[in-house]
Amino acid sequence: MQTGINSEQDSTPVQTGQPLNPPDPGTLEQFLFHEARLLDEQRWEEWNDLYLEDAEYWIPATPGQPDPKNHISLIYETGLLRAVRVKRYKHPNAFSLQPGPRSVHLVSNVILDNFDETTGECLVTSRFIMLQYRREKQDVFAGSYTHRLVVSGDEIRIAAKRVDLLNCDAPLENILIYL
Amino acid sequence: MSHYSNEQLAGLIREDSVHKKVYTDPDIFDLEMERIWNRSWIYVGHDSQVQQPGDYFATSVGRQPVVMTRHKDSRVHVLFNRCSHKGAQVIGDSRGNAQQLRCSYHGYVFDTDGTLLHIPREEGYNGAGFGKGNPESNMQQVPRVDSYHGLVFASLAPEGPDLKTWLSGAAVSIDNLVERSPEGRIEIAGGCFRYLHDSNWKMFVENLNDAMHPMVVHQSSSGTAKRVFDERLKEGDPVPFELEMLAPFTNNYDFFEKMGLTAWNYGHSVTGGKFSIHSAYSPIPGYMDALTDKYGEQKAREILAVNRHNTVVYPSFTLKGAITSIRVVKPVAVDRTVIESWVFRQVGAPEELFQRSITYCNLINSHANLVGPDDYEAYHRLQSGLQIQDGNEWVSQHRFLGKEEVEEDGTKHSAGTSDMVFRHQFQTWKDYMASAG
Repeated sequence: MQTGINSEQDSTPVQTGQPLNPPDPGTLEQFLFHEARLLDEQRWEEWNDLYLEDAEYWIPATPGQPDPKNHISLIYETGLLRAVRVKRYKHPNAFSLQPGPRSVHLVSNVILDNFDETTGECLVTSRFIMLQYRREKQDVFAGSYTHRLVVSGDEIRIAAKRVDLLNCDAPLENILIYL
Repeated sequence: MSHYSNEQLAGLIREDSVHKKVYTDPDIFDLEMERIWNRSWIYVGHDSQVQQPGDYFATSVGRQPVVMTRHKDSRVHVLFNRCSHKGAQVIGDSRGNAQQLRCSYHGYVFDTDGTLLHIPREEGYNGAGFGKGNPESNMQQVPRVDSYHGLVFASLAPEGPDLKTWLSGAAVSIDNLVERSPEGRIEIAGGCFRYLHDSNWKMFVENLNDAMHPMVVHQSSSGTAKRVFDERLKEGDPVPFELEMLAPFTNNYDFFEKMGLTAWNYGHSVTGGKFSIHSAYSPIPGYMDALTDKYGEQKAREILAVNRHNTVVYPSFTLKGAITSIRVVKPVAVDRTVIESWVFRQVGAPEELFQRSITYCNLINSHANLVGPDDYEAYHRLQSGLQIQDGNEWVSQHRFLGKEEVEEDGTKHSAGTSDMVFRHQFQTWKDYMASAG
């Protein structure tokens, strides 16, 4: 699978000389569940803190989209734009957030696809369903996540997240909460 | 048959306001499809979407499914997407290449110009009046097709003004879009957003030249972006595209008022001209040089000095030259509209120009961005607010009433924040709607 997630940038290599052991699958799963909970509980800053500053958050607009620079994307953000979005969630005049949207993120089928013994970097794929509710209307979004995670000791940070939305190229109304 | 007489339709449009039914009545919507969308020139696509013989692109003109094809003689055709036999849609996906178009039901085969080529067990039609050589047995071409700089338009009316006449002053926006390529050539690239709105199509079209809304509607995105960038950018850091794009949405009223508005015959209009919310972008390295090589320095400067903001080509699309993109209006129902966003690559220009346009569309036109949902919300509240029976049946268009300058050929100029364009669009609406049936 072509993830389009650039694995050359901004990882935090941990050079111990010893090959690292992959994290327990349960640990990775718990991390993804934790990320989903932060979104559902609208703990935006805590959610953003899971990400490295330059981490890409990317929702392509076309299935199999190879890159975010030469093709439109539903969202393509690094730290600066994430900070804008997170801050805007609390803006008193963000009218499309009044009334506020609510969400449920379900994460499943978590697989560790690749582990780098030198850097401790994990490539984790999973499936998700997200229900978004706002003003008497509920939308369903589903698809797959590809996370590039940097594991260092007990800490896990997100170096990149790609969201392949099943109907990313369909006519869609608003997506107001991160998938 | 409509229960509205022409007089009643004309009566919905006043000099300073329009009746709210023009946005809310499904019968009016059906009439708009017949009398505006089936008669005007409607944008179909760009010929770069069908570069090779056999390439096809399935889309719609108003509510009519059509397919744009490149025939083997390299001509572009627009066909109704309907088999002449039982009526099935022939093309079932949105794009591809096929040397022949084959109906998926009974296998009747058509050429890419619609000509019927083959019927299984053809002898069954002997003497029956259907078959090859009978024009009525072909997939039907739409009555009129023409293009301007590769932008393909169709009209479902056999008669009407030719495309160039009809485009009037909006043609200059298309000229400028193409001239911004150092090779004078543009091509569609980088995908398409299809943003579904739960509101009437005219709300989007009006909003594109509504300069009184950005500082209110986009305060939360543009204003927040300015604050976050101020906090995080250090002295001397390059200004990211994203800030250059988001910041001007909350320029002050004076800026938008001075930007100016121009309207031309057939309902078209533009905000800006000498400057716009796009005119303070940093230059793209190498771009001016590439334009100068092609056009000479003076002409290159003139091309980049055209700062049209949003051009509305009424009713079916809007265009941004500096952002090299268009938004295409697809009415679905009286309260349902899809807005497609497409980006053009300026052939011969630095890739950075194209990538800037991609970034702009992500930031402003996606369904998941920080700007579009607040416009969506405004249209939604209009659509539901207009259902309210408070005794006021009329939607105001009074701002700067009677203050426009009108040229001899009908071209109008006004302050950027005038309601002139709305009044102008609805005079065109009335011309279409109250003159047939």
